[in-house]
Amino acid sequence: MKCRRTATLIVMAALCIGVQLTPRPPNVEFTSLICFLTGFLFGALFGALLGALTMFINGFLSPWGFAGIIMPFQMLGMALMGLAGGVYRKLISNDFSISKSLNFESACLAAFLTLIYDIITNVGYAVLFNLEIVIVLITGVWLSIIHVVSNTVLFGAAFHRLVKIVGSLAGENL
Amino acid sequence: MKETKRRFIMVVLAWIASLFLVSLVAAYYYVEFQKEKSANTVYVSMYNNLLKNYTSLLQSYTELLNDYNSLAQSYEVERQNLTHLLQQYESCIMRVNICIDYGNGTVQWYNQTIVPLGYNLLQATRMVAQVNSTYWPAYRSSFVDAINGVWNKGAYYWMWYYWDKESKAWKYGDCGADLYILSDGETVRWRYEIPNYG
Repeated sequence: MKCRRTATLIVMAALCIGVQLTPRPPNVEFTSLICFLTGFLFGALFGALLGALTMFINGFLSPWGFAGIIMPFQMLGMALMGLAGGVYRKLISNDFSISKSLNFESACLAAFLTLIYDIITNVGYAVLFNLEIVIVLITGVWLSIIHVVSNTVLFGAAFHRLVKIVGSLAGENL
Repeated sequence: MKETKRRFIMVVLAWIASLFLVSLVAAYYYVEFQKEKSANTVYVSMYNNLLKNYTSLLQSYTELLNDYNSLAQSYEVERQNLTHLLQQYESCIMRVNICIDYGNGTVQWYNQTIVPLGYNLLQATRMVAQVNSTYWPAYRSSFVDAINGVWNKGAYYWMWYYWDKESKAWKYGDCGADLYILSDGETVRWRYEIPNYG
């Protein structure tokens, strides 16, 4: 890997962890976007690793307190987000440079992936505390909606521009 | 993958996500509705119980009110009867003021003592104190030996006075206490002393 790409990747990792640990409204986060972007630009493996690492650190240093035994589920969910970024890059391949609908597609994908992330963490919570999965999902529906809507808007508004900016920093000609 | 196909997949994924969320919201409101429904059943039951208790209390209150009114009527009748009796009673009694002076600074007053009309001083004194007396047939009167355990001793005797309203002074009684008939509003005094007839 080139030095420039490596440096950009490290910056992304630092940014991702820093933003994740910054106090913010509940269920409004930028980690998904950064992990997805990392997976998109640096490959699915790096995206998944960054997602898992971020949630691992977040588990201990989160402003909301120690995540506890939910942490593995959060790591899995966020790794999936990074992985999806890499897979998505594979899907669009040559279409990328001309795709005007990238924001729309990424917003749709964000909605789905965020929901998957929420389902994973909620299922983990339900299994660990021996609760009904459906009840946990229903109870947390408003938090899920906040999460999904905020991520959809964020991806839709920023993904395409961030790809351009971070891609050029990493030396990619997009 | 072609852009149209890819976009279709993305839209489907977003549609699934939104459908899932909408289902959860519906489920959320259904659960809330069930909760409220069961709570409502409890509230209705509580309301009915309260209403029953309130009705019962209202009945008790009405009964009490009726009893009170009945008692008030009885009270009024009894009050009238008692007033009438009191009026009759007032014509049979009198009020006198009795003083017992032990001669050592202790003075006891029995003001407005109610005694039957026609009572003499000895009878009236017996109503407020313990009196020991001896009847002397030669004088056809009684002689007071002790009042409240204080006995005549040596030169000390129980003497009685009456209050003379005209001269506004105490005057010795000039007969035995059982011969002196009291009149309404009169003031009399017993005094433990060495008699001084001078």
